Amino acid sequence: MGNETLTVPGDVAKAADPDNAGQVVTATPVVEQPYLAFRLAGEVYAVGILRVREIIAYTPLTSVPMMPASVRGVINLRGSVVPVIDLAVRFGRQSVAVGQRTCFVIVEVEHEGATHILGLMVDGVNAVMEIAASDIEPAPAFGTRVQTDFIAGMARVDGNFVIILDIGRVLSIEEMAVIKSGDLLE
Amino acid sequence: MSIESNALAQALGTFMEEATEFLGQMEEILLRAEDEACSEDDLNALFRCAHTIKGSGGLFGLDEVVRFTHVVENVLDQLRKGHLSFDSELISLLLECQDHISGLISVFANGGEPETTRSDELIVRLQVWLGGEAVPAASASASAAAGKSEPGAAEHWHLSLRFDRKILQDGMDPLAFINYLSQYGELAHVETIVDALPEFDDADPELCYLGFEVALRSSASKEEIEGVFDFIEEGSNIVILPPQSKIAEFVTLIESQQAEVARIGEILVACGSITAKELEHALEQQKRQAEPERIGDILIEQGAVLPPVVAAAAEKQKRVEDKRGAESKMVKVPAERLDAMIDRVGELVIASVGTHSRISGLQRPDILESADVLISLVEDIRDMALRLRMVAIGEVFSRFPRVVRDVSKELGKDIELRIHGADAELDKSMVEKIADPLMHLVRNSMDHGIEPAEVRRARGKPARGTLELNAYHESGAISIEVKDDGGGLNRERILKKAIESGLASADDNLSDEDVYRLILAPGFSTAEKVTNLSGRGVGMDVVRANIEALRGTLDIESVPLQGTTMRLCLPLTLAIIDGFHVGVGDSHFVIPLDMVVECIELPADVGDRDYFDQRNEALPFIRLREIFGERGNGHPRPRVVVVRFGARRAGLVVDRIYGKCQTVIKPLGPLFSEVPAVSGSTIIGSGEVGMILDVPSLVRHCAAAAGKRPARKAALSASEAVESIAS
Repeated sequence: MGNETLTVPGDVAKAADPDNAGQVVTATPVVEQPYLAFRLAGEVYAVGILRVREIIAYTPLTSVPMMPASVRGVINLRGSVVPVIDLAVRFGRQSVAVGQRTCFVIVEVEHEGATHILGLMVDGVNAVMEIAASDIEPAPAFGTRVQTDFIAGMARVDGNFVIILDIGRVLSIEEMAVIKSGDLLE
Repeated sequence: MSIESNALAQALGTFMEEATEFLGQMEEILLRAEDEACSEDDLNALFRCAHTIKGSGGLFGLDEVVRFTHVVENVLDQLRKGHLSFDSELISLLLECQDHISGLISVFANGGEPETTRSDELIVRLQVWLGGEAVPAASASASAAAGKSEPGAAEHWHLSLRFDRKILQDGMDPLAFINYLSQYGELAHVETIVDALPEFDDADPELCYLGFEVALRSSASKEEIEGVFDFIEEGSNIVILPPQSKIAEFVTLIESQQAEVARIGEILVACGSITAKELEHALEQQKRQAEPERIGDILIEQGAVLPPVVAAAAEKQKRVEDKRGAESKMVKVPAERLDAMIDRVGELVIASVGTHSRISGLQRPDILESADVLISLVEDIRDMALRLRMVAIGEVFSRFPRVVRDVSKELGKDIELRIHGADAELDKSMVEKIADPLMHLVRNSMDHGIEPAEVRRARGKPARGTLELNAYHESGAISIEVKDDGGGLNRERILKKAIESGLASADDNLSDEDVYRLILAPGFSTAEKVTNLSGRGVGMDVVRANIEALRGTLDIESVPLQGTTMRLCLPLTLAIIDGFHVGVGDSHFVIPLDMVVECIELPADVGDRDYFDQRNEALPFIRLREIFGERGNGHPRPRVVVVRFGARRAGLVVDRIYGKCQTVIKPLGPLFSEVPAVSGSTIIGSGEVGMILDVPSLVRHCAAAAGKRPARKAALSASEAVESIAS
């Protein structure tokens, strides 16, 4: 299973440990949160790791008729039928072709009090990275290629920007379940 | 939540469950009593139900329940003793009381404080039956004051209680009995006797070592006080000394309780049951007269200890065995555990089908043979697992005798209910969901179906109307009929009303069946006056929607002047269906098998029309490939699966037909709630996901879409045809 990728590196735990806090040079203790970073259409995005259940390799999907294109289809995940979201389409862009490193990030979302499992189709996962809350800036009002309310923040990691997604907003079931009449019958 | 309050909540839950069971039992007996003479067993059972509810209600401090049930219990006691006998008025009253108790309990369950006015009103009516019988004053303050009457009448009783050590294991609480005693009077003094308590290490926490000496000021009779201990006489030592008992009786008591004489004496003095002087006198008397014999007695008694102990042990063992026997007949299992297992069994079925299909390709007869054995075993297990969730439909039917009784009284009609096939089984979740629709149908039949007695007589029918509830299994489904011998549906009136409300037009040439189905349309009601029960025109469409949500159908048969039959046909379970597996492009779809009529090849000359001629009937069809936008591998000669739902037929054009399969339904979740064509998903043998088609909604959707697309001339006639089947 992809579960191994979820283990929190030891230094994160150390940073959170108050005994080690004195070694940190900055006056305020640095609160770092682990994020899973992945690639999609040439950009790097990240989601809070607590939402991520596992990462699995690409398998052919079964498409669900009459669903909007952002719902790419469903997969059989050890006996459960899990919908997979094409994030690129969700962001209003062209669907990306399946590549060698395409995989599904399985995440949990809350909907009406129940937890639902969804898959995100991404071009590939990069790493689990710790990002300090102080390094996260609010999303710019425009300029990103993703609609602003999907973005929880922008983080600068190694000189590059990483878009941290508000996964609850991105995967809003209410929104995605709505079928516009134009989606039906082509 | 702390462990204690958790345990209390749990105990309260058990009490609620038990009380509901007892109340149901009471109702059943009362309803039976209406038709035939009540047997002694029934009367005793009635009394026991009320008594137990009162007793355990007291445990939880449900004073209002206790106060009210106490009076009910008195009436039942009179019935049991033959001082009263049942008539229809008393039964009605007791049924009201039963409802009231259930209401009180549910108020407590929701954490509220019930009103006492309704209790008081019922108590007054009950007292009429009791006549001169002493009952608690019907005031709100009287909750625990039963028998606490004028001080002049209260006398000093002494009770010496040594409970059976196993009393706690039997699920009874000594404290409850003592609390309950206060119903009959004032507890002047309670002394706890701890002499029997062993060393801590030897003590079994499940045994009751305590004894109690109770001084009770009460005007109750000895029988009443003895009645408190009705359920625990066996094995317990309960001595009740009436007021003004002779000293000798106290002496006997002291001796019989085998405790330290002086201590018991002291307690008696403390209780005020005897004076210190009397005690001294008694002890002296005992010493003087009985000492020589006493030692011998004690010795003999010690020698005799053995047999009763052995007997008690044997008795206990037997009881344990009896209990085990009863347990093996019924096991209570939490529903979610059962569901989890059925889920897993579903996986097993999928996996075994997949394995089997792979083995079939291996050309290894030996392995294939064992795979065959495996698959048949798995299918057995699946059937058994599904049967675990099956309950008898009687569970739903059992509420109807009462409903029919009450409603027929309300309507002033004499209606007999006959139930057949109460043992037919169906899935537990279905049972819960059909209760409401059934209730509606039954009420409708009684209100609209069965005519008033005068009309019936004029029509030459017996004055008493008959309502039948029939359940039977039919080819993997269950049929439930609600059948009345009333006037039948009035075609003209339904049609008139439907035309008035725009549901039909006058020049439609509708068959009887189509006309009857109009009553299922939203907003339809023919009742001339709106009654309490029905006639508001909400209901039948809801009933139909509920039934369709369960993948069931509702058929109406009616013969004028002879009666109406509403027939529900429901699948036995919602978890697994028989499916028909087809392929469109690269996708897999499952059509519920019961909808599939036949499979044919798509006629080559069909062109781009969306209908073809089948046995001189225009059969509209839907090209799934186009509608679903499938681009995968097609088939040069597509097939048509002809489906039927209700009275309508349609064709579904598919690329490949794989055949019948067992389909474990996997719900698709809220994300797909708006998809019109798919009702669920399943995992087919290869491990791929297949979609289960929701045929009625697919057809409706296509008809609606075709209506908006008048451009395609060739499809026009087809869309009309589709519309006609979908409307």
